[in-house]
Amino acid sequence: MSSTEQGTSSAAPAEPTTAPESAAAPEVPESFYYVHGKDKVVHKVSAGALQHSALIHGMISNLGYTEEQAKANPFPFENIDGDILQMVVDWCNQHKGKPTPPEDTNLPKQKEKLFDLVLAVNYLEIKELLTYCCKQVAMMVKGKSPEEIREIWMIPTDAEDEAAEKEAKKRAGKEAAGETAAAAGDAK
Amino acid sequence: MPIALLKFPTDLRREVFQQCDPFQLYALSKCSKRTQRSIKLGGTRNWKLQFWGGNLIVASVDGLRYKFGKTENPDEYFKTQHAGRYVKYMGIQWGDAFNMFFYLLETFRIRVVETLGIYYGNLEKFLNAARELIERKIEVEVFHIEDTSEVKDMEKLMRLLNQMNISQKFTCFQKFSSNFHHNLEKFPKEILIHYSFWFTIDQLLECSCVRIELYGSTLSNQDIDLFLQKWKSPGSFPNLRWLQIESENIDNKSPILGMIPPIEHNHPPRTRVSLGADSSILNPVGVTKEDGTVGWMKVELATRSTLKFLVFNPIAPRI
Repeated sequence: MSSTEQGTSSAAPAEPTTAPESAAAPEVPESFYYVHGKDKVVHKVSAGALQHSALIHGMISNLGYTEEQAKANPFPFENIDGDILQMVVDWCNQHKGKPTPPEDTNLPKQKEKLFDLVLAVNYLEIKELLTYCCKQVAMMVKGKSPEEIREIWMIPTDAEDEAAEKEAKKRAGKEAAGETAAAAGDAK
Repeated sequence: MPIALLKFPTDLRREVFQQCDPFQLYALSKCSKRTQRSIKLGGTRNWKLQFWGGNLIVASVDGLRYKFGKTENPDEYFKTQHAGRYVKYMGIQWGDAFNMFFYLLETFRIRVVETLGIYYGNLEKFLNAARELIERKIEVEVFHIEDTSEVKDMEKLMRLLNQMNISQKFTCFQKFSSNFHHNLEKFPKEILIHYSFWFTIDQLLECSCVRIELYGSTLSNQDIDLFLQKWKSPGSFPNLRWLQIESENIDNKSPILGMIPPIEHNHPPRTRVSLGADSSILNPVGVTKEDGTVGWMKVELATRSTLKFLVFNPIAPRI
């Protein structure tokens, strides 16, 4: 719609300013967008909730989609499991338009999902949730000994690292030798 | 449910490390060489360390103190406990205290040492530590030299002092031999020196400190007069708020700013000027600088006479 059609051209008469100062500004209808994860289940999320994600906020800020266009073009996040995306969407909805308190009780608690959640949140660039999730990861090893930490965070010992490194070198050597042999065969 | 931390991208691992406290990071550094390298990706921390050469190293983090204490008992390794409302303690195994200090400095990527104190240990190790801190350009907020007979030949360490980045306070309780000379070239905000015979009037005239305390000084009435005459001229000693000199050479033979000691305000009403509990003067005499700044002075005569001088100066840093 052009500015003339909106009636804001210089020729248009000025709007009377009789409204009392205390009158509330008319509410702008909230716009919604749609996202889906690996499971293709589509989630409807308000633009306000999506502001938490720097990635999505950047994507939608210049789109100007109508409701229909948004519905027809959900943002695909094929690298995020459906249940993880659901958690993220829930969190964004719960924190729409407000900052996260230092001790957020509305956060996903499932430890078994934490790894995927951290990766998804990192990808979607949701800074506050990322900080919380990383805090949860860090809390897993609070008061633990190195042996316990190795178990919780699946950290190989030096000997295991060395063995894996040797194995990788061996494999790389074999592959290189295989490639050389194949190249020699091709040459014949 | 385990999580494969090392499979996290580097920036995520860094984020997790940022959420760890010093005990967690230390234990993690002991998991493997790989984790030790990985932790260092976490970047520089705003944590600070305190070290006195003994079997305790303290990491200060956001108002909390994490104490690393040496233990020989394997059952106590990595065991943590609360040692007060804001204090936590962890028993760890270490061989050499200095190696542990630098290990923590390196592991935590620390740029500021809150306190480095010389109480125990041998000089060679302190010399090496001082050189290392100079080389790494690490700020030392408070440097304290205790009057200890355990650390010999402290003079050698004093030679490195001017190269160290001491920012807040230098305290020296060491009694040096009578032929000791040292010229402080850089000044932190505060100095407190016992047996300060080596701190000459020339150094005092160059001193840019906010607070100066000299005990066992040899400065005389003439020296103090010279200093205060210089203080009176505009722009001199703009930082100074407190000067205390205890000297056997302050006497009633010659004037200080035209007054023969003892110098105090003898007439009622009694007045007290104060910058805090340890910086107050009862019945001082006012001294006005040429720019209008007022200082308050008192000289008491005793076996070791004392000058106290206080300046209310809204521009100078707080002490």
